[in-house]
Amino acid sequence: MNTRTIIATKVSLLLLAALSVQAADQMTKYYARSGSKMRIEGTSTIHDWQVEGTLIGGYLEVGPGFPSEPGQAATAGKIDAHAEPFIMVRSLKSIEKDGKPYSDRMDEVMYEHLKAQQNPKIAFHLTELTLKEPAKSKDDPYVFEAKGQIAVAGVTNDVTMPVSILPLGDKKLKVSGKTSLKMTDFKVEPPNPLGLGIKTGDDIKIIFDWMVGQRNPPATAAAK
Amino acid sequence: MKEHESNGLDFNRRDFLKNSSLATLMTVLGGVELLGHPGTAAGAESKSDSTKMKVAVIGLGTWGREILNTLAVVPQAEVAAVCDTYPASVRRASTLAPAAVQTADYKTILDNKDIKAVVIATPTHQHKEITLAALKAGKHVYCEAPIAHTIDDARVIALAAKAAKQQVFQAGLQFRADPQRHFLVPFIRSGAIGAWLSARAQFHKKQSWRATSPKPEREKELNWRLSKETSLGLVGELGIHPIDQAVWFINAQPVAVSGFGNLALWKDGRDVPDTIQTVLEFPNGVVMNYDATLANSFDGEYAMFYGTDSAVMLRENKAWLFKEVDSPLLGWEVYASKEVFYKETGIVLKANASKSVAANAGTQTQESPFASTPLFYALQVFLKNSIDVTDKAEDAATSLGPDDAEGIAAEVAKVQRRAAAGFVEGFQSAVTAVKANEAIITGQRIVLKPEWYELD
Repeated sequence: MNTRTIIATKVSLLLLAALSVQAADQMTKYYARSGSKMRIEGTSTIHDWQVEGTLIGGYLEVGPGFPSEPGQAATAGKIDAHAEPFIMVRSLKSIEKDGKPYSDRMDEVMYEHLKAQQNPKIAFHLTELTLKEPAKSKDDPYVFEAKGQIAVAGVTNDVTMPVSILPLGDKKLKVSGKTSLKMTDFKVEPPNPLGLGIKTGDDIKIIFDWMVGQRNPPATAAAK
Repeated sequence: MKEHESNGLDFNRRDFLKNSSLATLMTVLGGVELLGHPGTAAGAESKSDSTKMKVAVIGLGTWGREILNTLAVVPQAEVAAVCDTYPASVRRASTLAPAAVQTADYKTILDNKDIKAVVIATPTHQHKEITLAALKAGKHVYCEAPIAHTIDDARVIALAAKAAKQQVFQAGLQFRADPQRHFLVPFIRSGAIGAWLSARAQFHKKQSWRATSPKPEREKELNWRLSKETSLGLVGELGIHPIDQAVWFINAQPVAVSGFGNLALWKDGRDVPDTIQTVLEFPNGVVMNYDATLANSFDGEYAMFYGTDSAVMLRENKAWLFKEVDSPLLGWEVYASKEVFYKETGIVLKANASKSVAANAGTQTQESPFASTPLFYALQVFLKNSIDVTDKAEDAATSLGPDDAEGIAAEVAKVQRRAAAGFVEGFQSAVTAVKANEAIITGQRIVLKPEWYELD
């Protein structure tokens, strides 16, 4: 390698590094905030059931073109995005239809079937985010298609679901969606909780509202 | 605190009848099934012992040892430490919790980060110091009742508990977590006994209440209940439970209290009466009589609630309904179990009757005598709530980041705690106990001002 080639390579590497820094600068990261809600609905041979949790952790990172402000102009198409939301299994609680707690025993059954000891989180890994419909007004959400993998009880499956994202202002977003899954796809045997011939159905529906927000930069020391 | 929703459980006749339709079906199947909400009362017992919490018991007298016996069968309990300033008490307790660390200094327990919860069963006048220190150390606290022997101390404890929003504080009014009582509250409040007339409770036992020790100074410590300086006497140490129960059932604080006391038998230098009567006046002319003696044992301990249609007797963990001949027919009573008391027939009112049968079908296990007492349910609720609050705080820190104190606090506030006595009930019951004891000592009627029951 002659001197000219070495210099050219160094310049290229520096340019690449600069571009990477610029790209990273253009990514905006939103972190999980309080106020989220995840609900799982299912059926059984005696009545429908539901569990809820109020904590969804993780982050969403989006690149240029992502509409972060209410009503912001945006073009349909793929968005550079990364997201790793998760929910702690033990934070899910069985509830009555009116929201009151249902049963500690049912919670234990759920944790056992979801193998919560070995797999304490239900996690989603985003691989592709495509804006399908921009918001019609500043009060409307943007409709996306999210592709990724969801891991439940130690088993990971691909999933594609519609997701709506509502910019709330003040650097906050509400990410909402719902999707249907089968317990057996994740090798979760539908519970037979009381041993009395009562059996839960295989199909479940997941509905979520995930609140995320940008973090304020750390306060700098006041100038003397 | 959400747990105070227990006290505001304003059940109405519609709620009760809604449960009764299931009840009628279950009685046809062979049991009386009138259930409280399994998630809000202690009724639903987990068979799983996967989630435990390390807990310490501070104060190892007779009641402290009863607590240890009970914790031994609470699936959520792992007794990690026992504490008493008297070495013999620690040694005696060690057989009940062999794996527990033994200590004479409660501060070593508070320094142990692995121990998340403490049960304080020391003499009443020591509650304040230990409870405040435990709350400050971030522990969940179960403080025996009365929570204090003065209103000022009770207020300080209650305000500290109120400020500890990410911790559980439970007052040792164990009836408030008992499924049998939770079953009775909607039954009585829905009008099944007719209009309220009165309530009555008694504690009769011939016993000295005196403990002995070879060392005079230790004997004085042991017998703190026998001195006015440190004890609220029979009404404070025992009567506080049935009186608080009546307050809960009637759903009102008393408006006046009168008392009578006599040192009839145990004239051994004590200055607290061994025989007392207290009359508590409630709104609308409802009156409760509480009668306690250490000089006669006849008919032991029970409570009665009288209405215009029927009376309810509550004795240990069972209750019976005695109907007037002109009272309306309750559909399920035809199928209910009945027991005869002299010339009266009582309809058995038992929570979870058919559920217990179903749960135990085909099993050969023998239930521990400590596994179905109000104390068992109270300690279990305390630990379950403590586990839920601790888990939620940890999960919130994992999900939102440990620096998001506001978000973590908001999430912990969403925990739906199981019904039990909290700092409000602990404080209000102490106010009544202090004033009832004062009425007994002075022989005067005391008007109970509503503002005395207010915390802020």
